[in-house]
Amino acid sequence: MQGLSWIDGGIIGLYLFLVMAAGIWVRKYVGKVEDFLVAGREMDVYLGIASLAATEFGIVTCMYAAQNGYDKGFSGAVPGLLFFAAMFVVGRTGFCIKPLRDAGVITIPELFERKFGSRIRRAAGVVIVLGGLLNMGVFLRTGGEFLITVSGLNPDYLQSMMTALLVGVALYTILGGMLSVLVTDFLQFVVMSLGLLVTTVLLLYRIGWETLVAAVEIEHGAGGFNPFLHQEMGWSYVIFNLLLNTAAVLTWQTMIARVLSAKNSAIGRKIYTRTSFFFVARFLIPGIWGIAALAVLTPDQIGSNTLLAMPTMLGMMIPAGLMGLLIAAMLAADMSTDASYMLTWGSIIYNDIVAPFRKKNWNEKKGLFWNRTIIALIGLFLLVYGLWYRIEGDLWTYLGITGTIYLSSISVLLIACCYWEKANNWGAGAAIAVGALVPVLTLVLQKIGPWTLWFQRYDTSCGIAAFVLVALAMVAGSLLKAKVQTLRE
Amino acid sequence: MMTILFHMLSDHAFWGALVLVSLLWYSTITIYVAIKGVRDIRKMLQRLSELKSARER
Repeated sequence: MQGLSWIDGGIIGLYLFLVMAAGIWVRKYVGKVEDFLVAGREMDVYLGIASLAATEFGIVTCMYAAQNGYDKGFSGAVPGLLFFAAMFVVGRTGFCIKPLRDAGVITIPELFERKFGSRIRRAAGVVIVLGGLLNMGVFLRTGGEFLITVSGLNPDYLQSMMTALLVGVALYTILGGMLSVLVTDFLQFVVMSLGLLVTTVLLLYRIGWETLVAAVEIEHGAGGFNPFLHQEMGWSYVIFNLLLNTAAVLTWQTMIARVLSAKNSAIGRKIYTRTSFFFVARFLIPGIWGIAALAVLTPDQIGSNTLLAMPTMLGMMIPAGLMGLLIAAMLAADMSTDASYMLTWGSIIYNDIVAPFRKKNWNEKKGLFWNRTIIALIGLFLLVYGLWYRIEGDLWTYLGITGTIYLSSISVLLIACCYWEKANNWGAGAAIAVGALVPVLTLVLQKIGPWTLWFQRYDTSCGIAAFVLVALAMVAGSLLKAKVQTLRE
Repeated sequence: MMTILFHMLSDHAFWGALVLVSLLWYSTITIYVAIKGVRDIRKMLQRLSELKSARER
Protein backbone atom coordinates (compact mmCIF):
# COMPACT_ATOMS: atom_id res chain seq x y z
CA MET A 1 0.00 0.00 0.00
CA GLN A 2 1.32 3.41 -0.92
CA GLY A 3 -1.08 5.54 1.20
CA LEU A 4 -2.49 8.88 0.15
CA SER A 5 -0.38 11.90 -0.87
CA TRP A 6 -1.43 15.56 -0.43
CA ILE A 7 -2.38 15.63 -4.16
CA ASP A 8 -4.76 12.70 -3.60
CA GLY A 9 -6.23 14.42 -0.54
CA GLY A 10 -6.69 17.65 -2.51
CA ILE A 11 -8.53 15.90 -5.36
CA ILE A 12 -10.83 14.06 -2.94
CA GLY A 13 -11.50 17.22 -0.89
CA LEU A 14 -12.29 19.32 -3.97
CA TYR A 15 -14.64 16.66 -5.31
CA LEU A 16 -16.52 16.35 -1.98
CA PHE A 17 -16.85 20.15 -1.67
CA LEU A 18 -18.24 20.58 -5.20
CA VAL A 19 -20.78 17.76 -4.85
CA MET A 20 -22.03 18.86 -1.44
CA ALA A 21 -22.28 22.50 -2.57
CA ALA A 22 -24.20 21.59 -5.76
CA GLY A 23 -26.49 19.17 -3.92
CA ILE A 24 -27.44 21.69 -1.26
CA TRP A 25 -27.71 24.63 -3.71
CA VAL A 26 -30.52 23.10 -5.81
CA ARG A 27 -32.82 22.65 -2.78
CA LYS A 28 -34.27 26.11 -3.51
CA TYR A 29 -36.01 24.72 -6.61
CA VAL A 30 -38.05 22.22 -4.58
CA GLY A 31 -41.57 23.58 -4.18
CA LYS A 32 -43.76 20.49 -3.95
CA VAL A 33 -43.68 16.74 -3.46
CA GLU A 34 -43.57 16.05 -7.22
CA ASP A 35 -40.41 18.21 -7.52
CA PHE A 36 -38.90 16.30 -4.61
CA LEU A 37 -39.70 12.78 -5.82
CA VAL A 38 -39.57 12.99 -9.64
CA ALA A 39 -37.87 16.37 -10.29
CA GLY A 40 -41.17 17.84 -11.52
CA ARG A 41 -40.92 15.35 -14.45
CA GLU A 42 -38.56 17.78 -16.22
CA MET A 43 -35.58 15.46 -16.79
CA ASP A 44 -34.21 15.24 -20.33
CA VAL A 45 -32.21 12.49 -22.10
CA TYR A 46 -28.56 13.29 -21.29
CA LEU A 47 -29.15 14.12 -17.66
CA GLY A 48 -31.15 10.89 -17.48
CA ILE A 49 -28.26 8.87 -18.93
CA ALA A 50 -25.76 10.41 -16.49
CA SER A 51 -28.07 9.87 -13.54
CA LEU A 52 -29.00 6.29 -14.42
CA ALA A 53 -25.39 5.29 -15.07
CA ALA A 54 -24.09 6.96 -11.90
CA THR A 55 -26.83 5.42 -9.75
CA GLU A 56 -26.39 1.92 -11.13
CA PHE A 57 -22.65 1.92 -10.51
CA GLY A 58 -21.69 2.02 -6.84
CA ILE A 59 -18.66 0.68 -4.99
CA VAL A 60 -20.76 -2.39 -4.28
CA THR A 61 -21.24 -2.89 -8.05
CA CYS A 62 -17.52 -2.53 -8.60
CA MET A 63 -16.80 -5.03 -5.81
CA TYR A 64 -19.18 -7.78 -6.95
CA ALA A 65 -18.29 -7.38 -10.63
CA ALA A 66 -14.58 -7.58 -9.73
CA GLN A 67 -15.28 -10.60 -7.50
CA ASN A 68 -17.08 -12.17 -10.49
CA GLY A 69 -13.98 -11.46 -12.64
CA TYR A 70 -11.69 -12.96 -10.02
CA ASP A 71 -13.84 -16.06 -9.33
CA LYS A 72 -15.21 -16.68 -12.83
CA GLY A 73 -12.83 -14.96 -15.27
CA PHE A 74 -14.33 -13.23 -18.31
CA SER A 75 -17.50 -15.33 -17.91
CA GLY A 76 -18.19 -13.23 -14.81
CA ALA A 77 -19.13 -10.33 -17.14
CA VAL A 78 -22.07 -12.30 -18.62
CA PRO A 79 -24.69 -10.65 -16.33
CA GLY A 80 -23.66 -7.33 -17.93
CA LEU A 81 -24.32 -8.65 -21.44
CA LEU A 82 -27.71 -10.00 -20.35
CA PHE A 83 -28.56 -6.67 -18.67
CA PHE A 84 -27.65 -4.81 -21.87
CA ALA A 85 -29.84 -7.10 -23.99
CA ALA A 86 -32.82 -6.78 -21.66
CA MET A 87 -32.54 -3.00 -21.32
CA PHE A 88 -32.06 -2.41 -25.04
CA VAL A 89 -35.12 -4.49 -25.96
CA VAL A 90 -37.29 -2.83 -23.28
CA GLY A 91 -36.09 0.63 -24.36
CA ARG A 92 -36.72 -0.06 -28.07
CA THR A 93 -40.14 -1.64 -27.61
CA GLY A 94 -41.34 0.38 -24.60
CA PHE A 95 -42.46 -2.95 -23.06
CA CYS A 96 -44.19 -2.06 -19.78
CA ILE A 97 -42.28 1.23 -19.32
CA LYS A 98 -44.40 3.06 -21.91
CA PRO A 99 -47.79 2.30 -20.31
CA LEU A 100 -46.21 2.91 -16.90
CA ARG A 101 -44.94 6.40 -17.76
CA ASP A 102 -48.05 7.27 -19.74
CA ALA A 103 -50.16 6.45 -16.66
CA GLY A 104 -48.58 9.49 -14.90
CA VAL A 105 -47.99 7.65 -11.62
CA ILE A 106 -45.14 8.34 -9.16
CA THR A 107 -44.49 4.66 -8.29
CA ILE A 108 -45.31 1.20 -9.71
CA PRO A 109 -47.66 0.21 -6.83
CA GLU A 110 -49.73 3.32 -7.62
CA LEU A 111 -50.39 1.80 -11.06
CA PHE A 112 -51.30 -1.54 -9.46
CA GLU A 113 -54.05 0.10 -7.41
CA ARG A 114 -55.92 0.93 -10.62
CA LYS A 115 -56.16 -2.74 -11.62
CA PHE A 116 -55.77 -4.74 -8.41
CA GLY A 117 -57.04 -2.41 -5.66
CA SER A 118 -55.52 -0.60 -2.70
CA ARG A 119 -54.55 -3.73 -0.68
CA ILE A 120 -52.32 -4.96 -3.50
CA ARG A 121 -50.80 -1.48 -3.75
CA ARG A 122 -49.82 -1.58 -0.08
CA ALA A 123 -48.63 -5.21 -0.23
CA ALA A 124 -46.52 -4.42 -3.32
CA GLY A 125 -45.10 -1.40 -1.50
CA VAL A 126 -44.11 -3.54 1.49
CA VAL A 127 -42.27 -6.21 -0.55
CA ILE A 128 -40.54 -3.57 -2.69
CA VAL A 129 -39.29 -1.83 0.45
CA LEU A 130 -38.30 -5.14 2.12
CA GLY A 131 -36.29 -6.34 -0.92
CA GLY A 132 -34.75 -2.93 -1.54
CA LEU A 133 -33.67 -2.29 2.05
CA LEU A 134 -32.11 -5.76 2.45
CA ASN A 135 -30.35 -5.17 -0.85
CA MET A 136 -28.92 -1.76 -0.04
CA GLY A 137 -28.15 -2.79 3.53
CA VAL A 138 -24.78 -4.23 2.48
CA PHE A 139 -23.65 -1.17 0.51
CA LEU A 140 -22.08 0.72 3.41
CA ARG A 141 -19.78 -1.99 4.77
CA THR A 142 -18.72 -3.12 1.29
CA GLY A 143 -17.95 0.46 0.24
CA GLY A 144 -16.01 1.06 3.46
CA GLU A 145 -13.96 -2.13 3.01
CA PHE A 146 -13.03 -1.02 -0.51
CA LEU A 147 -11.94 2.46 0.55
CA ILE A 148 -9.96 1.20 3.56
CA THR A 149 -8.20 -1.52 1.55
CA VAL A 150 -7.36 0.60 -1.48
CA SER A 151 -6.11 3.64 0.46
CA GLY A 152 -4.29 1.69 3.19
CA LEU A 153 -6.17 3.51 5.99
CA ASN A 154 -6.56 2.02 9.48
CA PRO A 155 -9.62 -0.37 9.44
CA ASP A 156 -10.73 1.18 12.75
CA TYR A 157 -11.77 4.25 10.74
CA LEU A 158 -14.28 2.27 8.61
CA GLN A 159 -17.35 2.98 10.73
CA SER A 160 -16.67 6.68 11.34
CA MET A 161 -15.68 7.27 7.68
CA MET A 162 -18.80 5.61 6.27
CA THR A 163 -21.02 7.32 8.84
CA ALA A 164 -19.65 10.73 7.79
CA LEU A 165 -20.14 9.87 4.11
CA LEU A 166 -23.73 8.72 4.67
CA VAL A 167 -24.58 11.84 6.72
CA GLY A 168 -23.25 14.04 3.88
CA VAL A 169 -25.26 12.16 1.24
CA ALA A 170 -28.39 12.12 3.42
CA LEU A 171 -28.06 15.88 3.98
CA TYR A 172 -28.32 16.89 0.33
CA THR A 173 -30.88 14.17 -0.48
CA ILE A 174 -33.13 15.27 2.39
CA LEU A 175 -32.89 18.91 1.33
CA GLY A 176 -33.14 18.64 -2.45
CA GLY A 177 -34.68 15.22 -3.18
CA MET A 178 -34.54 14.06 -6.79
CA LEU A 179 -33.25 17.47 -7.96
CA SER A 180 -30.15 17.17 -5.76
CA VAL A 181 -29.78 13.54 -6.79
CA LEU A 182 -29.87 14.42 -10.51
CA VAL A 183 -27.44 17.34 -10.31
CA THR A 184 -24.94 15.50 -8.09
CA ASP A 185 -25.36 12.35 -10.23
CA PHE A 186 -24.22 14.37 -13.23
CA LEU A 187 -21.03 15.54 -11.48
CA GLN A 188 -20.49 12.06 -10.09
CA PHE A 189 -20.94 10.44 -13.52
CA VAL A 190 -18.17 12.60 -15.00
CA VAL A 191 -15.71 12.02 -12.11
CA MET A 192 -16.56 8.31 -11.87
CA SER A 193 -16.18 7.70 -15.61
CA LEU A 194 -12.84 9.50 -15.72
CA GLY A 195 -11.49 7.41 -12.83
CA LEU A 196 -12.79 4.11 -14.24
CA LEU A 197 -11.40 4.72 -17.74
CA VAL A 198 -7.96 5.97 -16.66
CA THR A 199 -7.52 3.11 -14.15
CA THR A 200 -8.54 0.43 -16.69
CA VAL A 201 -6.22 1.73 -19.42
CA LEU A 202 -3.36 1.93 -16.90
CA LEU A 203 -3.94 -1.68 -15.76
CA LEU A 204 -4.11 -2.98 -19.34
CA TYR A 205 -0.90 -1.10 -20.14
CA ARG A 206 1.01 -2.22 -17.04
CA ILE A 207 -0.16 -5.84 -16.83
CA GLY A 208 -0.83 -6.63 -20.50
CA TRP A 209 -3.73 -8.47 -22.13
CA GLU A 210 -1.83 -11.74 -22.60
CA THR A 211 -1.05 -11.89 -18.84
CA LEU A 212 -4.74 -11.41 -18.00
CA VAL A 213 -5.81 -14.11 -20.47
CA ALA A 214 -3.13 -16.51 -19.20
CA ALA A 215 -4.24 -16.00 -15.58
CA VAL A 216 -7.85 -16.85 -16.50
CA GLU A 217 -6.75 -19.90 -18.53
CA ILE A 218 -4.64 -21.27 -15.67
CA GLU A 219 -7.19 -20.65 -12.93
CA HIS A 220 -10.51 -21.32 -14.70
CA GLY A 221 -9.70 -23.08 -18.00
CA ALA A 222 -12.33 -22.84 -20.75
CA GLY A 223 -14.98 -21.97 -18.13
CA GLY A 224 -13.27 -18.61 -17.63
CA PHE A 225 -14.29 -17.61 -21.16
CA ASN A 226 -17.55 -19.53 -21.61
CA PRO A 227 -20.16 -19.39 -18.80
CA PHE A 228 -21.76 -22.68 -19.88
CA LEU A 229 -18.48 -24.50 -19.25
CA HIS A 230 -17.79 -22.92 -15.83
CA GLN A 231 -18.50 -25.32 -12.95
CA GLU A 232 -20.10 -22.63 -10.75
CA MET A 233 -22.20 -21.15 -13.56
CA GLY A 234 -23.85 -23.17 -16.35
CA TRP A 235 -27.39 -22.82 -17.70
CA SER A 236 -29.08 -22.13 -14.37
CA TYR A 237 -26.77 -19.15 -13.68
CA VAL A 238 -27.37 -17.67 -17.14
CA ILE A 239 -31.16 -18.20 -17.07
CA PHE A 240 -31.46 -16.80 -13.52
CA ASN A 241 -29.46 -13.73 -14.48
CA LEU A 242 -31.53 -13.20 -17.63
CA LEU A 243 -34.75 -13.32 -15.59
CA LEU A 244 -33.26 -11.20 -12.80
CA ASN A 245 -31.90 -8.51 -15.11
CA THR A 246 -35.08 -8.31 -17.20
CA ALA A 247 -37.11 -7.94 -14.00
CA ALA A 248 -34.67 -5.27 -12.74
CA VAL A 249 -34.96 -3.31 -15.98
CA LEU A 250 -38.75 -3.37 -15.64
CA THR A 251 -39.15 -2.72 -11.92
CA TRP A 252 -35.91 -1.82 -10.08
CA GLN A 253 -36.92 1.28 -8.17
CA THR A 254 -33.87 3.43 -9.02
CA MET A 255 -34.18 2.62 -12.74
CA ILE A 256 -37.94 3.10 -12.94
CA ALA A 257 -37.60 6.42 -11.07
CA ARG A 258 -35.69 7.75 -14.13
CA VAL A 259 -38.48 6.66 -16.50
CA LEU A 260 -41.05 8.28 -14.20
CA SER A 261 -38.97 11.49 -13.91
CA ALA A 262 -38.57 11.77 -17.69
CA LYS A 263 -40.57 14.41 -19.58
CA ASN A 264 -42.53 11.71 -21.42
CA SER A 265 -42.41 8.01 -22.31
CA ALA A 266 -40.40 8.64 -25.51
CA ILE A 267 -37.61 10.30 -23.46
CA GLY A 268 -37.80 7.49 -20.90
CA ARG A 269 -37.32 4.89 -23.68
CA LYS A 270 -34.41 6.86 -25.17
CA ILE A 271 -32.71 6.97 -21.76
CA TYR A 272 -33.02 3.17 -21.55
CA THR A 273 -31.80 2.48 -25.10
CA ARG A 274 -28.83 4.84 -24.90
CA THR A 275 -27.73 3.74 -21.43
CA SER A 276 -28.07 0.01 -22.14
CA PHE A 277 -24.49 -0.58 -23.33
CA PHE A 278 -23.22 1.01 -20.12
CA PHE A 279 -24.24 -2.22 -18.39
CA VAL A 280 -21.65 -4.17 -20.39
CA ALA A 281 -18.95 -1.74 -19.19
CA ARG A 282 -20.45 -1.87 -15.68
CA PHE A 283 -19.53 -5.56 -15.40
CA LEU A 284 -16.57 -5.74 -17.78
CA ILE A 285 -14.41 -2.88 -16.43
CA PRO A 286 -14.44 -4.01 -12.77
CA GLY A 287 -14.26 -7.59 -14.09
CA ILE A 288 -10.94 -6.71 -15.75
CA TRP A 289 -9.78 -5.27 -12.39
CA GLY A 290 -10.72 -8.57 -10.70
CA ILE A 291 -8.83 -10.54 -13.37
CA ALA A 292 -5.86 -8.20 -12.90
CA ALA A 293 -5.91 -9.12 -9.18
CA LEU A 294 -5.95 -12.80 -10.19
CA ALA A 295 -2.91 -12.18 -12.41
CA VAL A 296 -0.71 -10.16 -10.05
CA LEU A 297 -1.55 -11.30 -6.50
CA THR A 298 -0.48 -14.49 -4.76
CA PRO A 299 -3.06 -16.53 -2.75
CA ASP A 300 -1.31 -15.39 0.47
CA GLN A 301 -1.88 -11.74 -0.42
CA ILE A 302 -5.61 -12.35 -0.96
CA GLY A 303 -6.57 -14.71 1.87
CA SER A 304 -10.01 -16.31 1.97
CA ASN A 305 -12.08 -13.22 1.07
CA THR A 306 -11.90 -12.81 -2.74
CA LEU A 307 -14.07 -9.68 -2.43
CA LEU A 308 -11.00 -7.74 -1.27
CA ALA A 309 -8.65 -9.03 -4.00
CA MET A 310 -9.39 -6.15 -6.39
CA PRO A 311 -8.92 -3.25 -3.90
CA THR A 312 -5.72 -4.92 -2.61
CA MET A 313 -4.37 -5.04 -6.17
CA LEU A 314 -5.38 -1.41 -6.87
CA GLY A 315 -3.62 -0.28 -3.67
CA MET A 316 -0.41 -1.79 -5.04
CA MET A 317 -0.69 -0.75 -8.70
CA ILE A 318 -2.10 2.78 -8.70
CA PRO A 319 0.42 5.64 -8.30
CA ALA A 320 -0.01 8.77 -6.14
CA GLY A 321 -2.15 11.41 -7.84
CA LEU A 322 -4.12 8.83 -9.74
CA MET A 323 -5.08 7.24 -6.42
CA GLY A 324 -6.89 10.49 -5.50
CA LEU A 325 -8.82 10.37 -8.79
CA LEU A 326 -9.68 6.69 -8.24
CA ILE A 327 -10.96 7.29 -4.70
CA ALA A 328 -12.90 10.38 -5.81
CA ALA A 329 -14.39 8.26 -8.62
CA MET A 330 -15.42 5.50 -6.23
CA LEU A 331 -16.80 7.99 -3.70
CA ALA A 332 -18.79 9.49 -6.58
CA ALA A 333 -20.08 6.05 -7.51
CA ASP A 334 -21.08 5.27 -3.94
CA MET A 335 -22.64 8.63 -3.10
CA SER A 336 -24.82 8.68 -6.22
CA THR A 337 -26.04 5.15 -5.50
CA ASP A 338 -26.77 5.77 -1.80
CA ALA A 339 -28.60 9.04 -2.50
CA SER A 340 -30.77 7.56 -5.20
CA TYR A 341 -31.57 4.40 -3.25
CA MET A 342 -32.61 6.35 -0.15
CA LEU A 343 -34.82 8.68 -2.19
CA THR A 344 -36.51 6.14 -4.46
CA TRP A 345 -37.25 3.57 -1.77
CA GLY A 346 -38.38 6.39 0.49
CA SER A 347 -40.82 7.41 -2.25
CA ILE A 348 -42.44 3.94 -2.09
CA ILE A 349 -42.82 4.17 1.71
CA TYR A 350 -44.37 7.63 1.41
CA ASN A 351 -46.53 7.07 -1.67
CA ASP A 352 -47.71 3.49 -1.20
CA ILE A 353 -47.39 2.50 2.46
CA VAL A 354 -47.93 5.69 4.50
CA ALA A 355 -50.12 7.77 2.17
CA PRO A 356 -53.08 5.33 1.84
CA PHE A 357 -53.53 5.47 5.66
CA ARG A 358 -53.95 9.24 5.92
CA LYS A 359 -57.52 10.42 6.37
CA LYS A 360 -57.32 13.62 4.29
CA ASN A 361 -54.85 14.92 1.71
CA TRP A 362 -51.68 16.44 3.08
CA ASN A 363 -50.53 19.84 1.89
CA GLU A 364 -47.18 20.07 0.06
CA LYS A 365 -45.31 21.24 3.17
CA LYS A 366 -46.45 18.25 5.22
CA GLY A 367 -45.75 15.88 2.30
CA LEU A 368 -42.19 17.20 1.98
CA PHE A 369 -41.68 16.90 5.74
CA TRP A 370 -42.69 13.22 5.73
CA ASN A 371 -40.57 12.42 2.68
CA ARG A 372 -37.54 13.97 4.38
CA THR A 373 -38.24 12.13 7.63
CA ILE A 374 -38.51 8.78 5.80
CA ILE A 375 -35.16 9.35 4.04
CA ALA A 376 -33.52 10.16 7.39
CA LEU A 377 -34.94 6.91 8.86
CA ILE A 378 -33.68 4.88 5.88
CA GLY A 379 -30.24 6.43 6.45
CA LEU A 380 -30.40 5.32 10.08
CA PHE A 381 -31.35 1.77 9.01
CA LEU A 382 -28.43 1.70 6.56
CA LEU A 383 -26.06 2.64 9.37
CA VAL A 384 -27.29 -0.06 11.75
CA TYR A 385 -27.91 -2.96 9.32
CA GLY A 386 -25.10 -2.01 6.96
CA LEU A 387 -22.41 -2.17 9.59
CA TRP A 388 -23.31 -5.52 11.22
CA TYR A 389 -24.65 -7.89 8.54
CA ARG A 390 -22.06 -10.22 7.00
CA ILE A 391 -22.72 -11.98 3.70
CA GLU A 392 -22.44 -15.76 3.14
CA GLY A 393 -21.48 -16.71 -0.43
CA ASP A 394 -20.74 -14.20 -3.17
CA LEU A 395 -22.04 -10.64 -3.14
CA TRP A 396 -23.76 -10.67 -6.55
CA THR A 397 -25.82 -13.72 -5.58
CA TYR A 398 -26.82 -12.13 -2.23
CA LEU A 399 -27.97 -9.02 -4.09
CA GLY A 400 -29.77 -11.21 -6.63
CA ILE A 401 -31.58 -13.26 -3.99
CA THR A 402 -32.64 -10.24 -1.88
CA GLY A 403 -33.68 -8.38 -5.03
CA THR A 404 -35.76 -11.40 -6.10
CA ILE A 405 -37.95 -10.87 -3.00
CA TYR A 406 -39.73 -8.28 -5.05
CA LEU A 407 -38.29 -8.46 -8.56
CA SER A 408 -40.01 -11.76 -9.37
CA SER A 409 -43.45 -10.78 -8.11
CA ILE A 410 -43.51 -7.10 -9.10
CA SER A 411 -42.27 -7.80 -12.63
CA VAL A 412 -44.96 -10.46 -13.12
CA LEU A 413 -47.58 -8.08 -11.66
CA LEU A 414 -46.43 -5.25 -13.93
CA ILE A 415 -46.57 -7.40 -17.08
CA ALA A 416 -49.99 -8.77 -16.09
CA CYS A 417 -51.23 -5.27 -15.18
CA CYS A 418 -50.20 -3.84 -18.54
CA TYR A 419 -51.00 -6.72 -20.89
CA TRP A 420 -53.31 -9.37 -19.35
CA GLU A 421 -56.96 -8.43 -19.08
CA LYS A 422 -57.90 -11.41 -16.88
CA ALA A 423 -55.31 -10.57 -14.19
CA ASN A 424 -56.97 -9.71 -10.87
CA ASN A 425 -56.22 -9.14 -7.17
CA TRP A 426 -56.30 -12.85 -6.21
CA GLY A 427 -53.56 -13.62 -8.72
CA ALA A 428 -51.60 -10.52 -7.67
CA GLY A 429 -51.82 -11.41 -3.97
CA ALA A 430 -50.72 -15.00 -4.58
CA ALA A 431 -47.82 -13.82 -6.76
CA ILE A 432 -46.58 -11.36 -4.10
CA ALA A 433 -46.75 -14.00 -1.34
CA VAL A 434 -44.91 -16.67 -3.38
CA GLY A 435 -42.37 -14.16 -4.70
CA ALA A 436 -41.39 -13.09 -1.19
CA LEU A 437 -41.47 -16.56 0.35
CA VAL A 438 -39.01 -18.40 -1.93
CA PRO A 439 -36.05 -15.95 -1.67
CA VAL A 440 -36.58 -15.37 2.07
CA LEU A 441 -36.59 -19.15 2.66
CA THR A 442 -33.43 -19.48 0.55
CA LEU A 443 -31.67 -16.77 2.58
CA VAL A 444 -32.72 -18.33 5.90
CA LEU A 445 -31.89 -21.91 4.87
CA GLN A 446 -28.46 -20.79 3.63
CA LYS A 447 -27.67 -19.87 7.23
CA ILE A 448 -29.47 -22.47 9.37
CA GLY A 449 -30.68 -26.07 9.19
CA PRO A 450 -29.28 -29.28 7.68
CA TRP A 451 -29.62 -28.11 4.04
CA THR A 452 -27.25 -25.11 4.28
CA LEU A 453 -24.77 -26.43 1.70
CA TRP A 454 -27.50 -27.50 -0.74
CA PHE A 455 -29.11 -24.03 -0.66
CA GLN A 456 -25.74 -22.32 -1.08
CA ARG A 457 -24.91 -24.55 -4.06
CA TYR A 458 -28.29 -24.31 -5.83
CA ASP A 459 -29.11 -20.67 -5.04
CA THR A 460 -29.58 -19.73 -8.71
CA SER A 461 -31.98 -22.67 -9.23
CA CYS A 462 -33.98 -21.37 -6.24
CA GLY A 463 -34.01 -17.95 -7.95
CA ILE A 464 -35.40 -19.45 -11.18
CA ALA A 465 -37.99 -21.38 -9.14
CA ALA A 466 -39.13 -18.08 -7.58
CA PHE A 467 -39.88 -16.56 -11.01
CA VAL A 468 -41.66 -19.68 -12.33
CA LEU A 469 -43.76 -20.15 -9.18
CA VAL A 470 -44.74 -16.47 -9.11
CA ALA A 471 -45.97 -16.60 -12.72
CA LEU A 472 -47.94 -19.77 -11.95
CA ALA A 473 -49.42 -18.19 -8.81
CA MET A 474 -50.54 -15.14 -10.80
CA VAL A 475 -52.25 -17.28 -13.46
CA ALA A 476 -53.77 -19.75 -10.99
CA GLY A 477 -55.02 -17.05 -8.58
CA SER A 478 -56.57 -14.96 -11.37
CA LEU A 479 -58.28 -17.92 -13.04
CA LEU A 480 -59.52 -19.21 -9.68
CA LYS A 481 -61.21 -15.91 -8.87
CA ALA A 482 -62.80 -15.82 -12.34
CA LYS A 483 -64.11 -19.37 -11.82
CA VAL A 484 -65.48 -18.62 -8.32
CA GLN A 485 -67.24 -15.54 -9.67
CA THR A 486 -68.78 -17.57 -12.52
CA LEU A 487 -70.03 -20.20 -10.06
CA ARG A 488 -71.54 -17.52 -7.79
CA GLU A 489 -73.34 -15.93 -10.72
CA MET B 1 0.13 0.30 -27.06
CA MET B 2 -0.26 -1.17 -30.55
CA THR B 3 1.06 -4.51 -29.23
CA ILE B 4 -1.66 -4.57 -26.57
CA LEU B 5 -4.32 -3.81 -29.18
CA PHE B 6 -2.95 -6.59 -31.41
CA HIS B 7 -3.07 -9.09 -28.52
CA MET B 8 -6.60 -8.04 -27.58
CA LEU B 9 -7.87 -8.63 -31.10
CA SER B 10 -6.06 -11.94 -31.63
CA ASP B 11 -6.03 -13.69 -28.24
CA HIS B 12 -9.65 -14.49 -27.22
CA ALA B 13 -10.84 -11.87 -29.68
CA PHE B 14 -14.48 -11.80 -28.47
CA TRP B 15 -13.55 -10.60 -25.00
CA GLY B 16 -10.69 -8.41 -26.28
CA ALA B 17 -12.93 -6.65 -28.80
CA LEU B 18 -15.70 -6.28 -26.18
CA VAL B 19 -13.28 -4.59 -23.74
CA LEU B 20 -12.06 -2.24 -26.49
CA VAL B 21 -15.59 -1.35 -27.66
CA SER B 22 -16.65 -0.78 -24.03
CA LEU B 23 -13.74 1.60 -23.38
CA LEU B 24 -14.32 3.45 -26.65
CA TRP B 25 -18.09 3.73 -26.17
CA TYR B 26 -17.72 4.76 -22.52
CA SER B 27 -15.16 7.48 -23.33
CA THR B 28 -17.37 8.89 -26.10
CA ILE B 29 -20.59 8.87 -24.06
CA THR B 30 -18.79 10.49 -21.10
CA ILE B 31 -17.67 13.46 -23.21
CA TYR B 32 -21.03 13.73 -24.97
CA VAL B 33 -23.08 13.53 -21.76
CA ALA B 34 -20.71 15.93 -19.93
CA ILE B 35 -21.44 18.60 -22.56
CA LYS B 36 -25.13 17.96 -23.21
CA GLY B 37 -25.97 17.22 -19.57
CA VAL B 38 -25.10 20.78 -18.52
CA ARG B 39 -27.68 22.08 -21.00
CA ASP B 40 -30.29 19.65 -19.63
CA ILE B 41 -29.64 20.78 -16.03
CA ARG B 42 -29.90 24.43 -17.03
CA LYS B 43 -33.20 23.87 -18.85
CA MET B 44 -34.64 21.77 -16.02
CA LEU B 45 -33.81 24.33 -13.32
CA GLN B 46 -35.06 27.22 -15.47
CA ARG B 47 -38.38 25.46 -16.08
CA LEU B 48 -38.81 24.56 -12.39
CA SER B 49 -38.02 28.14 -11.44
CA GLU B 50 -40.69 29.42 -13.83
CA LEU B 51 -43.25 26.94 -12.48
CA LYS B 52 -42.43 27.90 -8.88
CA SER B 53 -42.78 31.63 -9.65
CA ALA B 54 -46.11 30.97 -11.40
CA ARG B 55 -47.39 29.02 -8.37
CA GLU B 56 -46.31 31.78 -5.97
CA ARG B 57 -48.07 34.45 -8.06
